[in-house]
Amino acid sequence: MRLRPAFRGTELGLLVWVALLVALGFAAVVGAETEKLDAASLAVPLAYLSVALALHLFLVARGFRGDQLLLPLALGLTGVGLVLVERLAPAALLVQQLTWTIVGAGAFAAAMLIPRDLTAFARYKYTWAIAGIVLLLSPLLPVIGREINGARIWIGLGDILNFQPAEGVKILLVIFFASYLEENRELLARPPQRLGPFAIPPLVYLVPIVLMWALAMGVMVLQKDLGATLIFFGIFLAMLYLATGRATYPALGLVFFLAGAFVMARLFAHVEARVDIWLHPFAEELRFGPAYQIVQALFALGNAGLLGAGLGGGMPERIPIVWSDFVFAAFTEETGFAGALALLALYLVLVFRGMSIALRAPTPFLQLLAAGLSFTLAFQTLVIVAGNARLIPLTGVTLPFLSYGGSSLVTNFVIVALLLRVSDITRRVRGG
Amino acid sequence: MEIPFQIALWGVRLAFLLVLYLFLIRAFGALWRALRAEGELAARPAAAYLVVQTSYPQGPRVSERLPLRVVSAIGRDAGNDVVINDEAASARHALIEHSDGAWWVADQGSTNGTLLNGARIARRERLRDGDLVEIGRVGMRFEAAR
Repeated sequence: MRLRPAFRGTELGLLVWVALLVALGFAAVVGAETEKLDAASLAVPLAYLSVALALHLFLVARGFRGDQLLLPLALGLTGVGLVLVERLAPAALLVQQLTWTIVGAGAFAAAMLIPRDLTAFARYKYTWAIAGIVLLLSPLLPVIGREINGARIWIGLGDILNFQPAEGVKILLVIFFASYLEENRELLARPPQRLGPFAIPPLVYLVPIVLMWALAMGVMVLQKDLGATLIFFGIFLAMLYLATGRATYPALGLVFFLAGAFVMARLFAHVEARVDIWLHPFAEELRFGPAYQIVQALFALGNAGLLGAGLGGGMPERIPIVWSDFVFAAFTEETGFAGALALLALYLVLVFRGMSIALRAPTPFLQLLAAGLSFTLAFQTLVIVAGNARLIPLTGVTLPFLSYGGSSLVTNFVIVALLLRVSDITRRVRGG
Repeated sequence: MEIPFQIALWGVRLAFLLVLYLFLIRAFGALWRALRAEGELAARPAAAYLVVQTSYPQGPRVSERLPLRVVSAIGRDAGNDVVINDEAASARHALIEHSDGAWWVADQGSTNGTLLNGARIARRERLRDGDLVEIGRVGMRFEAAR
């Protein structure tokens, strides 16, 4: 049998630092709140670290020999996320987030085992596409659909267990695109025809772009979910570019998207409002109204300085719903430029590792899968951090691993599991 | 002597930042080592080659040595390890792999088939030094190192 345990020293070494980081974070946050430092603050970190250790031991016991960097990075970021939930959110949410972490760990373990052959995904590509669309539209159904804070993007039963299906759809879309593009990229990568000075691809090749664009715009209209629209379309264009190497596609897609967004902003009040808030947050009628959130976030970022106010020492609670959309602003206010820089560098290492796994993967499907998943993490981080800093209009996407939110956490753990599996396949094929 | 609470709290806060950076540095180090190990692996000489015997005008040069990996995909698509850009070759044509101490060739459901020493193969066949593998209009001699 090949189930020989594998010693994963690098991973274990990095997990020791994760343990220290989470323990110190909780000590500072709870200490600032209760005005004393004691061991009671370490209960939650200990619970979390036992989950982290369980995942490490699961990989060791399975004899898994792939990448050793992604899991500790994901667990480190999730741990900082728990510190921020403790700092920013009502106490009930910490218990929920801890529960979701355990669910996420379970999903990670399941994704490491099922399906046994990862490339089997490629065989059922239209099943994934249809499942993705059904899941995406499910919040529009009566009974299970929910509208929270003006966006109809939730499904749930009863008062608990609200899930955002758009999160899981990201993975299904990446799997679908990877298998679709593996099959059709030769066709799509053919040199475009020339029309005078313009290079245009033959019209049939535009069909998938137009379909995807229509779907994205549909999501924008029906569910008022700007963030998901942006993420889906971004994933699609990036993977199209990765598969074909033709910059025409993303350029064309971007023009489509901007044109669509411009028309939307004219037609729909909620899109127009977002743009107004972005451009003129300090306008008289906005700063205490709809722009209050971003204005407070800008003050938080402005007050950060080099080392910040210290964990537990700032005033991030002045930003409404800070624990979901504005964790980056809150983290920066309390740890300063130094903390924000280290945080972004951690995301960079995570994405870089994902892309390096993609580069080495043995088949186009696995390459596109790993690259698409890594890009998803990178793009989402970019969109929400830039939104926090008012570089682009704010869209409600989560900061991977850090924001409060169960659906996002579970999805991101599955993404990490899939990347680990690609690295494991590569290792078996290429040796090392 | 008791340390004032505020100083202790700031000590913990700064320790958090310090550990954040140490974790980052360790992660960078692990990334660097992983990439270097993978780079060395890629630079290691191949264990076997396909030596081109017959070709077509735009195809690989005759007597060119195409290195094989532990698993090598062969076909017309640019994503293959050995690319044969011939109309008679399928996008994913054949697979050559090293497992259980031997080399094997398997057809991947190609249209025109894979020939081993002149005979079309149905399933995975064992490769021996000097065997002739034909894909499309290209004939290649299998050559194992050592």
